[in-house]
Order: sequence, then structure tokens, then C-alpha cells
Amino acid sequence: MKKIVLLFFALLLSPAGYAQEKGSVLISGGTLITITDGNKENTDLLIEDGVITEIGRDLSAPDGVETIDASGKYVMPGIVDAHSHIAAVDVNEWTHPVTAEVTMEESIDPNDINMYWALAGGVTSIHLMHGSANVIGGQNETLKLRYGGDMDELRFEGAPRTIKFALGENPTRVHGQRFNVQPRTRMGVEQIVRDHFDAAFDYQRNRREYLEAREAYEEGARGEAPVPVAKNARMEVLVDILEGDIRVHCHSYRADEIMMLMRVFDDYGIENYTFQHANEAFKVAPELRKNGAYTSVFSDWWAYKFEVYYSTAFNASILNANGVINSINSDSGELIRHLNHEAAKTVHYGGTSKQDALRMITINPAMQLGIDDKVGSIEEGKHGDIAIWSGHPLSIYSMAEATFVDGKKYFDRDKDADDMRLEVNPEEDFEHAGRRWYEEHGRRGGTCLRGAEVRFNEQGMHFRHQTR
Amino acid sequence: MAASLQGWSQPAEAFENVIIHTADGEVVDGGTIVWRDGIIRSVGPEEEVTIPFDAYVRDGGDSLHVYPGFIDGMALWGSPDTDGPGGTPDEPGNPGYKRAGIQPQRYPSEHLKANDQALEKAAEMGFTTAALGLKGQMLPGQVDLFFIRGKQTPDNLLEEGVGVLAQFKEAKGPAYPSTTMGLMAQFRQLFYDAEALHRQQEYFASVSSSYPAPQKEKELEALYPVMKQKQPFFFVADSKENIERVLWLQDELGFDMVLVSGKEAYTKAQELRRREIPVLAGIDLPEKPDWMSTDDDGKDEKDRDTQPAEVTEEMQHFRERQQQAYKERINNINTLRESGVRVGYSSNGFNTSAIRKNLLILKEESGMNESQLLNILTQSTADILGYGQRLGDLEEGRLANFTVFDNPFTEEKAKGLFSVSNGEVTELDSESSN
Amino acid sequence: MRTFLKFFISGFLLVVIVVTAGVAQFTEKAEFGKFAITNATIHTVSDGVIEHGVVLINGETIEFVGKNAKITSDYHRINAAGKHLYPGFMDAGTQLGLQEIGAVAVTKDQAELGEFNPHVRAFTAINPSSVSIPVTRVNGVTHVVSLPVSGRLSGKATLIDLYGYSPDSMAVSPNAALHLNWPTAQKGGAGDQRSEEEVEKAYKKNLKELNEFWDRAVFYDDMMMSYEEGSADKEAPDTHKKLEAMREVLSGDIPVMISVDRKQDILNALEWTKKHPDVHFILAGVQEGWRVADEIAEAGLPCLVSTLFTPERAYDNYQRPYQNPAELHEAGVKVAIATGEIENVRNAPYHAGYAAAYGLGKEEALKAITLNAAEIFDVADRLGSIEEGKQANLFLSDGDPFEPTTHIDQVFIRGYKIPMVSRHSQLYEKYLNRGAVEH
Repeated sequence: MKKIVLLFFALLLSPAGYAQEKGSVLISGGTLITITDGNKENTDLLIEDGVITEIGRDLSAPDGVETIDASGKYVMPGIVDAHSHIAAVDVNEWTHPVTAEVTMEESIDPNDINMYWALAGGVTSIHLMHGSANVIGGQNETLKLRYGGDMDELRFEGAPRTIKFALGENPTRVHGQRFNVQPRTRMGVEQIVRDHFDAAFDYQRNRREYLEAREAYEEGARGEAPVPVAKNARMEVLVDILEGDIRVHCHSYRADEIMMLMRVFDDYGIENYTFQHANEAFKVAPELRKNGAYTSVFSDWWAYKFEVYYSTAFNASILNANGVINSINSDSGELIRHLNHEAAKTVHYGGTSKQDALRMITINPAMQLGIDDKVGSIEEGKHGDIAIWSGHPLSIYSMAEATFVDGKKYFDRDKDADDMRLEVNPEEDFEHAGRRWYEEHGRRGGTCLRGAEVRFNEQGMHFRHQTR
Repeated sequence: MAASLQGWSQPAEAFENVIIHTADGEVVDGGTIVWRDGIIRSVGPEEEVTIPFDAYVRDGGDSLHVYPGFIDGMALWGSPDTDGPGGTPDEPGNPGYKRAGIQPQRYPSEHLKANDQALEKAAEMGFTTAALGLKGQMLPGQVDLFFIRGKQTPDNLLEEGVGVLAQFKEAKGPAYPSTTMGLMAQFRQLFYDAEALHRQQEYFASVSSSYPAPQKEKELEALYPVMKQKQPFFFVADSKENIERVLWLQDELGFDMVLVSGKEAYTKAQELRRREIPVLAGIDLPEKPDWMSTDDDGKDEKDRDTQPAEVTEEMQHFRERQQQAYKERINNINTLRESGVRVGYSSNGFNTSAIRKNLLILKEESGMNESQLLNILTQSTADILGYGQRLGDLEEGRLANFTVFDNPFTEEKAKGLFSVSNGEVTELDSESSN
Repeated sequence: MRTFLKFFISGFLLVVIVVTAGVAQFTEKAEFGKFAITNATIHTVSDGVIEHGVVLINGETIEFVGKNAKITSDYHRINAAGKHLYPGFMDAGTQLGLQEIGAVAVTKDQAELGEFNPHVRAFTAINPSSVSIPVTRVNGVTHVVSLPVSGRLSGKATLIDLYGYSPDSMAVSPNAALHLNWPTAQKGGAGDQRSEEEVEKAYKKNLKELNEFWDRAVFYDDMMMSYEEGSADKEAPDTHKKLEAMREVLSGDIPVMISVDRKQDILNALEWTKKHPDVHFILAGVQEGWRVADEIAEAGLPCLVSTLFTPERAYDNYQRPYQNPAELHEAGVKVAIATGEIENVRNAPYHAGYAAAYGLGKEEALKAITLNAAEIFDVADRLGSIEEGKQANLFLSDGDPFEPTTHIDQVFIRGYKIPMVSRHSQLYEKYLNRGAVEH
């Protein structure tokens, strides 16, 4: 066993940049859950150099390419988690109601074991999100779980930029309630968005005029020296949102605040957006559908605070029945380990079809992240991000047996060792205690508010900013 | 003091019958060193050195060791402590420069606390020069080079602003920036703002009328030399990821830099060499795990608790990996050196009294010999600070900076007896050295 | 315009229908009386599986379980062809009924102030109208143990069923166990800056306080017994509420539920329990039980465990939480499922499902969420299996209830045929076909 561990690490860690390597593999005889083209029984899948090149019967492996027998098993696209905070250093730059300038791209923790545990649940991509302490939070980063890679190697190349917005209790609690800074109410939240969008337009104009004047001045075409307008990192990002270069993923719960943001976005011409959590999205499903808005929800989390009290585990099914493109996300290092079963709950609550349930953790989140041309289904030309399951992935008895990213195997249940850490702290104790078992569940950790430390405990919700 | 001596030559001073260690590891038994006016005039075996008639001579009795003065590439000795949490700003998102920890205009020479024990302690440990920084957050201030002379240190400034200290330290308490990504954004924004202000000042200066006066922003102005690569950032970063983040900033903002501390710099050795970034490495080594220090021979495991800790297979595996990680960290400096990275030394707040203990660990466990360690503490740090011709070795023409020990400096019992800094001799109080 | 009108009208009609349906369901009462469930696949738990079986319910009680029954016309017949009948599931460790909304302090009643509160009772604070209760029971979970959680001795946990208008009508064992949070001897991970000495000191101090309290309770119990043995010349001692509350624990009438998770802490707790041979103990949490399964088995203590949590140590195998119940069982420990959940106790079947999938097997996992729990809390005479004479706590499903895709069709609690309605299903009914966009 030990040898296997060491061998694995030797393979994984020795050559620099190894994680970026792409792999080739022939997976034969499995039931392919293609997502976009039905299930194909007893079908082979060939991945070459990280890309799916052929789907069919009786394929033969090119020279040097390993064949894996998947007969009796299911082959599914890698799960895409549209809302995650694993592999993060910090999550919340909570200090200002608008922190568009910060980006999770610079807050990646490439050593987080949770990535490996997610791979063991068949997940291949995550949307590493900024937290929900501010109305316009930081930018998010879409990652591929190339466990063992460094920060750069984890990035999902070609994934569109996205940013976090947050409405309701979190921003009003952190800013208004704790620091007497707007917003204190949902009314204030709206105006924070509008104010900053307006300011971004002004900035864009002023900055452009300045740059033009400067150029003219330096070329001698203008006599008067311009007054510089400094480049502003925050405003630049807001401008990019307004220009449609950044997709908005908005933490939201209540139907009214969802409607508010859609009105605001309509006014500013912002089109591609996803409501995250959206526990009350079911109440305004037709409006969401009409606006082409996406939703990404929990399967069944509720009642951890007031704004999710009037919610229902049937949310996903209602949205789906109303034609809203919906995904099921984790927002948790625990749920990400079994998103397949989280999706299965949509069958339980509201009778969503099994196919649609699987879409909610594959192609639908991929659409929301703008990577559906690359992952989220088994199609020729798409990335070789797939998992082999021992049985139908919605069954509680099924396990991911192997998980591939870019055709390279990052998880293999047969060779799975105990200690899969990438980084070892020389000062860590072997033994240590954690939280009590009855505190493990639900939203106690409040990962979305990590760093802002609005803590859920026996006394309710308490604010404590992060101290180091 | 120095000023009053202008115009005439001070008498020379000398040590004879001492064991002289040079930065490249050479050892001269029965050596003599002569200095005058703060400059080493002659050094070497007694037969090669003539002691001038007017020299005040101390006899080392063939047992004292003379080392080039150690140089700390970035120490926080004498720095006032940072203010407390600083309360809650009216708007945590706009705390103002000072509250955010942005104070690059501060000079240690204006803030130094002369009575900081660390300055005395440092001399006893063999330090005669140090680049001093201030405690603080992301941009605590400038780095000033001083001769270390205990309480007299503040009067012994060698050069102001050899660099600007920068680090990934969030603002204290509830204030922006509160995260690593916030710090990254804030560094960028400061450069953008400095660039704009600088340009406005230039425009203003170039016309005589019809142009609005730029506002004075001393924090931004202090960054101009860094922007123009006339002054390096002394950037403190330890983890592999934080070093990578600094390199991203460097690519984007184009500053010169020295990496300070760099506990995991070995992981980026090739990249640092490629970029010619020197490292002022810390020796704040990881604590050796209990099990490693107690059962080296696998036998005399000390039982802290009642039951003996049975070493299970998983514990054994855990330990193997821990040992590996420990070794990598201990070998940091050596790995950097062997990869061709210029490595000097920085304490960066590390407890001065623990230096010798950790030097010993480095000597015993990292495969570096005494002369290699000495070189890092002297010549190599001098090179990085741009003082390679003046400091860091015992050589004719160099500044007279050295320490006389009663034993080789890596030995636990070694005591500094005399500290000579810029030619001034301080007899060290051996009582307080323990 | 016409389309609009059509939409409007159909929308209006729908709303009317939904609203009336909603009202109907909201006011729907549980039925009580005589039921005959026929053609079901009966998973008795205590006596195997009966295909095409019959279960007769008369009032609160299961009257008959078997293949052929004479069903008189006064029985309300339920044809369960193709359906599976299971005993109601029991989650042996929750905070259900004690908290309504996590972030709203005034709705939280599970954490009293103070370190030693053996006298406070979860039973007192169970809110029978908690919206979470119907949400839970329609998933087949009919019973929970709800526990206070704060301090060292948090108070008495209560065992309730999930149907009733008052705690009194729901309680199976008002005082089901005393909850003890075992003091940890471990550092709390990377954030814990204490030295090992400080950690040990804190542990010893906490243990000493526990022992002192315990000793006082023993003294009080002895004193009271001596007084009660009666002789007229003894002066009545003052009553001490907290110590009085310990008496039913010291006598072994109700067990102590010890929350303990880490290896060394478990060993410490086992050692401690040996000093109190007359007291009954149950371990709860036991997340690292697999590391010391043999020691727990040797001590003979049952364990309340869950599966859906992440490994505490970064170097643990990802499956450890899933495998923990199986490894304990294999060592000879009796295990029951306890999720620790509040609003999502409804996920208890999936905790059991993971245990089943990762080594425990379906049959044992089914016991872990039914009969084992009943036995551990000494109510197996009434609960935990489908047997004649037991209380009618059952549910019908269209498949394996551990599968999240399975639907629960009908739940019976204490003989009551429960309306399969909750806030969640009502919102579904109300909004599924809400109608056109209103602008």
C-alpha cells in the first residue's frame, strides 16, 4: 500500500507542470450517459490527448493508449459544480459593499485535499466563487480539478470571466447592521448596484476621454495637458460587466430580490446571469424563464436563516418544469462529494426525470459557466473530463471508480491511498480535534460568508471579522 | 562624532594574535587586523601585516575569532510596535492609507527606538550592519541601512531607502484590504494612482498656468522610485503560492525586487534565478516534530501521556511525509544556493536569541558548512544590498565591520566580545549575552 | 390580447384550484382507525421480508403481519401492490423541534447557558408546530431523538414521534438520555494556537469539573436514598434540582449519551465509563470510531453515527466517514443512525444508504435506522420493526427508501395515517403551474 502511495506521489509531483499534461484512454463497453444524446449502452469512448475523439462500438486503442473495460458500468461527463469554495485561500473581501476588483483567481489554494475528495465524487470542474458578504463581490474563477497542479495549472482555460453579486441578508447584515454602512435594506442593495453601474459608465467615459486627450497631447495634436484619470481596478471590472464580458452569478434567496436584479439588469442591458442559491426562484420561475436567467440551487438546504424559511426542496423541479436552465450546486466541501445524489433528490422532490436531474450537474452548470462547448456532455470534440461509475450515478449504491480530467486519470478507486495530501505541514500534529458531530451539518460553516465570519452558532448568527 | 574628526587622521587600531575568518571560508591563525578611520587598512597573517606605530593594539591571545560583521538584510529591530487593531473605520471599505497599512513614505531612521534591546542583542550575535524596516502591514515603510551599535544605532545611518518593504499583510481589524486577493488589488491600484499623480505633477510642472494643482500624496510619491525601478521592493513572502503571487505582480507592474523570508522559496528556485531575484532568506525554521527529536534511535521514546504512543502504520506514513516536508524546509537555503539563486539573510522579526540555535540546525541538517553559512550572513547579503565592495568581508579597503568571538560563531557557547562597526569598537557586555 | 386573456383566465383558474387544494391539504387531518395494507412487500426488519403481505392496523397498534388475513369491511383498505412497507425510520440524534431558523436566535432552544444542566429537558422545548416536522416525516422518518447541545452536561434528550399537537402527545420517552459533551484532549486543528501542555491542562480541568459534579451527584443520590429508606428521625434534606436530575441517570434508568468523535477522546471516554458500572452509556458521533472499533466493542457500548461529513484529518481516506458504521458493526458494535441535523433530518435515509453502500449492507443499515435505535433507547417493545403488537409506525414507498430517487407514498405514525403534506410540498403545489408572467 505504501508503495502505491509513494509511486503515486512520484508520478504526481516529480515533473513540474505534470498536471497540465493531457491523457489518452479508451474506455470500452460502458453505458455512456452522454447527457446531450441519450444513453448509449455497450459503447466505447476514445479520448486522445485530452479530447474526446470517437464514440462508437468496437473502437480499438491506438498504440500506447490504455484500454479500460467499463462493461457493466456507467460513463458520465465529469460533474461541474457551479458554486464552490473549496481550494480557496480567502473567500470574502467583505470590507466594502463593492469589491469587483478582487478575484478568486488570486485566492486559489492548490493544495486543498477537498479537491481530491471531490474528484472521488466524480467532479471535474468547479466554479470557485467569491463569498456573499458584499453586493458586488469579487470575481470568481472556474477551475479544473487537476489535483497536483499549481494555481495556474488549475485554471479552466477559455472559461469566461464571472463575478459574484449578493443580495439580501448577507450584505445588509455585514455592512448595514454591523458597520452602519449602506446597504442596510434590500432597498439599499438595489441602489448600491445602480450607483456603481452609473459610476462605471462615468468612469469609462472620463477615462477614455483622458486617454484620447493624452495621446493627442503627446503627439502634439493638443496643446493643453489633460488632467489624468487614474486607471481604477474596481471600475474597470464593472465596465466589463456592463459590456457583457463578465457573467454575473448572484447569491440571492427571495423572489422579490431576484425580480429587483432582473429589472436592474434589464435597465443596464446585462444579459447573461445566474441566480445562485435562489431558494425562492420557484416563485418567479416564469419571469426567470422570460429573461433567460439561469438558476443554480441547493437540492434541499433551507431554514438556516430567515430568508430561506419559505423555501422548498421542490425548487429545482419547479424551475425545470418551467423551462429554466437550473443546476444543483454544493457550496460545501461535503455536498460536493455526492452531487450526483443531490441531483437525485430532484427526482424525489417533484419528479424531475433522471436525465434532467443529471443535466443539472453537467451540461446545465457548464452552460451557466460558459464552458458547455468544452465540457458537460460526452460528445466528440469535447474535453476528456469524465467519470466511470459502478452503477447508475443517481443510485446511492453507485461509486465513482475513476475520474479523468483532460483524459488523465486523477482518481482511481482501486489505487486510492489513505493520505492524498499534496502539501505537508512539518508542524502539524497527528491527532487533532474538530467540531462536534452534530455541528457538521447544514449551514453552520456558512462557507459563503467565510472570512466575514458571520457565524452560525447556538446563539444564532454572529459577526466576527477575520483576524490573523 | 565622525564630523569632529574631519581633517586629521585618527590613530589606528588593531587586533593581533586572532583567528581571522573571511567570507569565503578561509581561516588565518595568528592573524592581525588593522583599521583606521573606519576602513580596514591591513589584514592577514601577522608576518604580512605591519602594525602602524600609532595603533592601539588588542591582543587576541591566539584564541579569539574574528568574523566579518554579520549583515541582516531586513530586520525589524528598533521598530516601534504597530498600533493596536485601530478601531473601526467609519467605512471599513475606505479606511485611508494609514489605516490600511499603506505607509511607504515612513523611514525607519525617523522612527527607530534606540533603547530596543534587540539592537544590543544583535551586536552580541555578531551583527554590525542591518537593513532595518518597520513593523506594519502591506507597505510599512522604507528600508534603511544602519551600522548596528546598540543604543547608538539611530546615529549610525549608512543609507536611507535601500528598498521599500512590502508584504502580504492585511489591514488590521475591519478594514480593506482584508484578504490576499484584496492586497493584490490594492498593490495594483496604488501603482495606477501613483502613475496618474506622477503624470499630473509632470504636466503641472511643464506649464505655467491653466492647470489644476495636483494633490500632495506622500504615500504615492514614495512609490515613484519603485515604479521607475530605481528602488526595489523588499517583498516578504513565504509560501510557494504567495511567491507566485508576487511574481504575477512583478510581471504586471514591473518592479525590481528582493524576496524576503521566503520559507518555501526553494519551490521556485529556478524561476527566481531566471528573474535574477535575490532572496534574503529567513531562518525561522519549522519546529522539529516531537517524535523526530525524541526517538532518533527509535528507542527512548518519551511518554508524555500515560499510554505509550503506539506507532501505527498510518502514523508511520504520516511521519515519513512529515520528515520529508521538514527536510525540504530546512534545506531551503541550500537548495536556493545550489540552484544559483543569490541568497542572503533576513531576520524579519525572528527572535535574535534563537539565531544561533537555528544556524546550528542548518549546519547539522541542511548540508551547509560553516563557511557557507558565514558567506550568507556576510558577503552574500552585502552583495544583495549593493554593498559587496564595502561590507561583508575582512579585506583591505572594506569598512571596518567585524566581531570578535571567543569561539567559532556556530558553537553554542560562542560569545561576542568586541563588536566593531564602522571602525568603532564596542566591548560587549558578556553578562547580558545570556 | 386574446392570448393574454386566455393566459389570465387559465392562470386565474389554476390559482383558484391550487389555493383551494392548498387549503384542503393544510387543514387535512390525520386519519385514525382501522387500516388494511395489502399486497405490500413488507420489510419487517425483525423477521425478514414478506412478499404480497398484509398488515392490519387497529388504532395505534399493528394487529397483524403476514400473508393472508381476513379483512373485515370496517378496515380501510390500502392496496399497496408494487409498494414496499417499512417500519418508520428513527434518527437517534437530532435537534429537530428545538430550532426553527438557524440564524434567528429567538427560534433556537437547544443551548441553555451553563456547563452542567442535567435538569433541562429537550422535551420541554419541542415545538410541535415546527415547519420542519412535517417536512421530515413525509420522508419516512417517524421518530427522532432531539438533544440539547451546550456545555458539558447539556440536559436531557427526548425521544419523540413526529405527529402530535403537543410534546406530551409526541413523546415516546420524554427523558431519553442525558447528553454529555465529552471534553476533548486534542488540539482543535490548525487554528488552535495552544501548546500541548495547555491543551492537556484544559482537558484535565474539564474532566475534573465533570468528575466533581458527578461525585456530588452520587453523594446526593446516596444521601437521598438513605433518607428515603425512611426513618422518622431524619431531617428532610434540601432538594437540589441539578443533582436530583442525575438520579435517574445514576440508577441506570436512562442512559448517558456521550458525544465524542476523535480517537483519543473516545479511548478516554471509554476509560471513564468503566468507573461507572451502574450507568448506561451510549456513544454519539464517534466519527473516528473505525480507529478504535475493537476497543468500543470490548466496552460493549452502542454507537450513534452518521456518514455524510468530510474526514476530519486531511490525511484520512475519503471513504472513512462512509465506512465508519460498517467498521464498527464488524467489530461487534451496535450502531444506529444519528444525523445531528435539524431541518434536514429528512436526509437520515441517505446517511443509512451510504453506510449500506460502504460495507454495512442494506439489511444492517435498515436495522441501524430502525430496530437498533429502538433497542438502544429501550423502546423496542413498541418501535423499530413491523411486528404484531408494536405501535403502527410505518411507511409505504415505491422502492428502496435509501435511494434518493425513491418516493414515499404514505406514512403512519402511532396508527395515524399522516397527510403527505409539508410546507415544501404545499409551495410546490402552489407554484408549479403558477401561470403566466405578471408584469
